[in-house]
Amino acid sequence: MKFFSVTALFLISFNIYSAEIKLNDPKLNEPAPNFVEKNSYGLNIQLSDFIGQPVILEWTNHECPYVARHYSEKNMQAVQKAAEKKGFIWLSIISSTPGDQGHVSRDQANELTISRNASPTHVLLDESGKIGMQYGAKTTPHMFMIDAKGVLRYKGAIDDIGRGMKFFDASFNDSVNYISTQLDAVLQSNELKISNTVAYGCSVKYDY
Amino acid sequence: MKNTLLTFSFLLCSLAIAAPVNTGHAEASLITNLQDTQQESFYLGVRLKMQEGWHTYWENPGDSGGAFEASWTKDEGIIIENVEWPTPVTIPYPPLMTYGYEGDVIFPFKVFRAIDADLSIVSLKFSFLICADICIPEEAELSIDLSTAKPSQMLEQTIQNLPINFLDTKTSASDETITIKFQAPAIFSEAYFFPREDGLFTYTSVQNLKQIDDETFEIAIPALTSEIESFSGILRLDEQGYQVKETLEISTPTMSLFSAIIFALLGGLILNLMPCVFPVISLKVLSFVSMGGNDHVKIRNHALTFVSGVLFTFLLIASILIFIRSSGAMIGWGFQLQSPEIVGVLTLIMLGIGLVLLTDINMAKGLTTIGSNVQSRNDYSGSFFTGVLAVVVASPCTAPFMGAAIGYALLQPSFATLPIFLALGLGFSSPYLALALKPQWISALPKPGAWMETLKQFFAFPMMATALWLMWVFMLQTSGDALIQLLVLSLALAISIWMIATFNNAFKWIGLTLTVVAGIQFFTNIPVNQIDLEQGASNSGWDVLLESDLQAQNQAYLINFTAAWCITCQANEKTSLGRASVKKYLVDNNIKYIKADWTNRDENITKSLSKYGRSGVPLYVFWKPGMQRSKILPAVLTEAILIRGMQ
Repeated sequence: MKFFSVTALFLISFNIYSAEIKLNDPKLNEPAPNFVEKNSYGLNIQLSDFIGQPVILEWTNHECPYVARHYSEKNMQAVQKAAEKKGFIWLSIISSTPGDQGHVSRDQANELTISRNASPTHVLLDESGKIGMQYGAKTTPHMFMIDAKGVLRYKGAIDDIGRGMKFFDASFNDSVNYISTQLDAVLQSNELKISNTVAYGCSVKYDY
Repeated sequence: MKNTLLTFSFLLCSLAIAAPVNTGHAEASLITNLQDTQQESFYLGVRLKMQEGWHTYWENPGDSGGAFEASWTKDEGIIIENVEWPTPVTIPYPPLMTYGYEGDVIFPFKVFRAIDADLSIVSLKFSFLICADICIPEEAELSIDLSTAKPSQMLEQTIQNLPINFLDTKTSASDETITIKFQAPAIFSEAYFFPREDGLFTYTSVQNLKQIDDETFEIAIPALTSEIESFSGILRLDEQGYQVKETLEISTPTMSLFSAIIFALLGGLILNLMPCVFPVISLKVLSFVSMGGNDHVKIRNHALTFVSGVLFTFLLIASILIFIRSSGAMIGWGFQLQSPEIVGVLTLIMLGIGLVLLTDINMAKGLTTIGSNVQSRNDYSGSFFTGVLAVVVASPCTAPFMGAAIGYALLQPSFATLPIFLALGLGFSSPYLALALKPQWISALPKPGAWMETLKQFFAFPMMATALWLMWVFMLQTSGDALIQLLVLSLALAISIWMIATFNNAFKWIGLTLTVVAGIQFFTNIPVNQIDLEQGASNSGWDVLLESDLQAQNQAYLINFTAAWCITCQANEKTSLGRASVKKYLVDNNIKYIKADWTNRDENITKSLSKYGRSGVPLYVFWKPGMQRSKILPAVLTEAILIRGMQ
């Protein structure tokens, strides 16, 4: 009996958390979940507006050391440029709750884009974390690729460096970038060779 | 001078207990449990005192974060191993889950020192990710002078509490949930399984715990994929962690009862061609020939009797296997040869057959009917007995296809075991069944004549060769002394067969009687290797976890599960594994070659075999980095098959 009550406690203690915030896990090679959110200029941006063009989603948080390194070494910018050249729409999404790390105002978001010489098509301010949970975004960075038909083709890490402190010593040149190496396959609406990897980085700062 | 020395050593002392380094949100220091300067192995520990609310990560950080990096600077004579991770805690950041450590944590590193290596200063660059709701990479340059360092009680405590023990577990998978059944070594209230490998399990999900009986529990861990073959991690029961390393059975679910039966039929058929069986079988065929091609009814009846002898023996073996299995022991095909008594008796049987073939014992009542004058009396017990004998001499052999089928059979409930063994027997005896259906086929064989006598005598030699090989097995299992005794017994057997062949009165049986008596005496007092007697002992030092360890190290490997009594194994070693070209290929491609010797009873090897759905040898397992799962190579190898299999 004692055992059951303890087990029950154990279960409840977890359910408290999972009741409020739940991450979905969108299925690969199926239509990507649609969303509407304001961008850094206050305009409503809807994913379905981009049908006909491939889209990349990048979860970001400029204060996260992992993201910071991708930007300070111009790695993220290089991937953005390569994608745009091939006609991709690039949406940088910030799911940090107001007051938490990485949360920015519209102006700050635009300043960051300019100062870092980044070139996202739009920066979306997902303060409620709704899009993040829809896509199951766990870390910054966390990447998703959607083809021109609106089909989700990739979810996961930006490259194969992976977690841990080894990230900070690893060379981007020696790594395999899962986004830039698979742009063509997404353009052709193919299933990807590597479509599902474990994203690494800081946690997305949802409201908990 | 004395003063300067004093000051100097005082300086060193103060260096050794150097003040902890403040990294921003933690204090880091390097400690040791080195007690005296003669110790060859001890621990170094990195102590991290984190500020309230901050944490760092376990080797699998969960949904975000990452493990630390340590880079050591030290003398050559000192080897510092990888960190031995303390039991982590769950640090939930809903909807994410991370695994790590809070507060004051010590990471122990095992150190080995060459006996002549001086104790000196060891330093470390320790970089780690420290997080509250935000994450910051921090770093500390730490050093310790081992010649003066004081042993730390806290480090000792941490080492005591490391999750070093393995639990008795059994894992099953259904859909996308892995269930670990375990025996709890102590009363506990909370359980959580921390998976070590990334990308196999969901971290946020609830792990359901269920009590089966007093000490048996089941914890269900939702997985990300239904294709998990092996995983490891730490099962935390309250404060104590236990190592868990599991491999899920691979081939069992991939084979259906139907295909197992097909495999058994094929395997049985091929078994006829195995070197130890072929002579006996051939003699049976010859006896059909000598009956003449005319008496079809007689041929049919003898063939059917022979078949029933074969089937009877296979079913008997199956029943024995089921019986042994029901008593809980791990068994496999060929297990009977792990007993030196049986090997010894088989040696004598093989030798006896060989001698009978060579001597002038009237073949009409001779070999195929040992001990009973069958054909002359027109009774069929001889044919039946030949069937039994054929299976007995076949027992050391595993033919291709057979391994997989028997492996499957032994992992199934009894109702599936019996049909597979029956199929094996039917496959084995199918040529004779065909003969029973169409006795006229016998006329296709050459007419009986003097050539038959010559061929019979020739067949004595493969039988004696088999006896020789069994003697070698016997020697490996026992000792040189025991082998000599077996040889003496063989001599006695030879004499008694000569007596049977030479004398014509009651006197002729005296030799055999004496030999049998001596044989009983010998086999009941056989000096067996002591280790064998311990139940479940592993005397080969085989580690069931070896494979996952090697995979973790990205080390390609080829494992040869073999036994001295397995003739197919021996043949493979001669024709392929032992060849220079193969050895060169292994070296050139950095493939580790491992031999798992199952000559003697070994619980651990049996366990490993059963993971591949096998219950006997040979089994060749190959893996190299990049492969999803290890690969089973064919049971009969050639250089080409082997090398192609590894490409």
